Amino acid sequence: MSELLAFQDAFVAALAGEDERLSPWCAGHDAPRGLGVYRNTIAKGCVDALAENFPTVRALVGEEWFTGAALLFSQQSPPTHAALLDYGADFPSWLERFPPAGELPYLAGVAHLDRLWIEALFAAEAPHLQAATLSSLSSGALAAARLDPHPSLRMATFDAGLPGLWLAARAGDETLELSEAPQTLMLIRRAGSVTSRLLGEAEAAFLRAVRHGEPLGVAAEHAAEADRETPIATLFASLIADGVFTNLDLETQP
Amino acid sequence: MTPSAGLGLKSQHYGDAIACDAEGLWFEVHPENYMSAGGPRLAALEAVRARRPVSLHGVGLSLAADTDPDPEHLQALKRLVDRFDPFVVSEHLAWSTHRGAHHPDLLPFPRTRAALDRICGNVARMQDALQRRVLIENPSLYLPLKGHTLNEVDFLEALATRTGCGLLVDVNNVFVSAQNLGYAPETYLDALPAHAIGEIHLAGHAPDPGGSNLLIDTHGAPVAEVVWTLYARLIARIGPRPTLIERDDDIPDFAALMAERNRAVAVLASSQTAREPAHV
Repeated sequence: MSELLAFQDAFVAALAGEDERLSPWCAGHDAPRGLGVYRNTIAKGCVDALAENFPTVRALVGEEWFTGAALLFSQQSPPTHAALLDYGADFPSWLERFPPAGELPYLAGVAHLDRLWIEALFAAEAPHLQAATLSSLSSGALAAARLDPHPSLRMATFDAGLPGLWLAARAGDETLELSEAPQTLMLIRRAGSVTSRLLGEAEAAFLRAVRHGEPLGVAAEHAAEADRETPIATLFASLIADGVFTNLDLETQP
Repeated sequence: MTPSAGLGLKSQHYGDAIACDAEGLWFEVHPENYMSAGGPRLAALEAVRARRPVSLHGVGLSLAADTDPDPEHLQALKRLVDRFDPFVVSEHLAWSTHRGAHHPDLLPFPRTRAALDRICGNVARMQDALQRRVLIENPSLYLPLKGHTLNEVDFLEALATRTGCGLLVDVNNVFVSAQNLGYAPETYLDALPAHAIGEIHLAGHAPDPGGSNLLIDTHGAPVAEVVWTLYARLIARIGPRPTLIERDDDIPDFAALMAERNRAVAVLASSQTAREPAHV
């Protein structure tokens, strides 16, 4: 092993509390105060990144609770690369197993939605499908066509109404209620901003089918099975207006 | 436009940065904050870059680690270099990655001959990947290490000579390290090879709130008077260089940062005047 790697090993061990590992390189009484500065900077870097990426979690639990949890998480699951805008992909599942979060059963779900918001924000650019593109198509061609979801499209379904609670918390509502009904949230980035809204059952079924690569006709059947009351044309038009699709692939096979 | 003094670009100042028409103004960003597939940050940087020179100042390539720079990180950096055509690309004489983990800080190491060989190799890998010269910045130090065989200036000079890289001199880091480790910042600055210096950083520092008597390079306050004095001394010796006011914490409004930036412009201008031959 090179001396540089041996030093790095010792330094990282010292950061984790084994100060004596640095003794070959550092006079004893100097180590604790200098190491403390490095520890604080690293901790602040991780906690600030998590606070930026999970603002709703932080708003619900308060700064002190959040900082404590974020510190523990960053020690157990440090960043794996320097782009911290992506840090915390496994923070939601970690919160699920974090004993103090046991009294807050919705917290991991809230973290999951915060994460989807970040994913939508930084997803690749792509144009949004314009309704005018479809006006010249026959109904047969339309039914056989497949839609490409926009790269920023994210969806999450919960058995209880967690998305509604998340939306209310993001809006700064003081009274948060968890409704009993299942809910699906959709997030999409348009013109640089992420917007999110609850989907009706027909819309959710339609979008799930689109994301599985089903042709439009099949997606429409799924929507009708989920909710016969929603007219497909209205549903489709409102999703196009949301900017959910980027492209339409016409079936070229006879 | 010749870049004179610039500002670290903060997201709350995107609009001001695009609207400002100051002569010679430029902006610097950490490329790590823009390593995404898409999104509004990249769009904002594009709008700033359409009007202003931009510098990419890396904080995460970990050139002083005992491993090659992460190829994915280098590729992401190359994409940003290709897209934004920065007038300077820089990194630090420090490490942050270790056995797969990234510690978001600029960590120290013993400046040995073997470390110099390793870091020269890493700087060369960076320059090869980006197909351009880069600048390397002196770190702020908090821990007196045993086992250095080169002082920091000699180490940086050897790095520049062997790889062709330039130096980014952070005058605040020089002051903070000198205070923390007990040497004269003037001696350090006077020994730096002028021809290698391509950019200068100025920032604020603060005493450690933990009570350690160490100075911390916080980037959370205006540039200290003592650092302005050291800066003027350096510029008087080496001539004008693109100079950046760095502020990353407790960020004031754009006008307050521009006032500091304009003070640097004045220092640069006085050095230029002093160097120009008198007309007869």
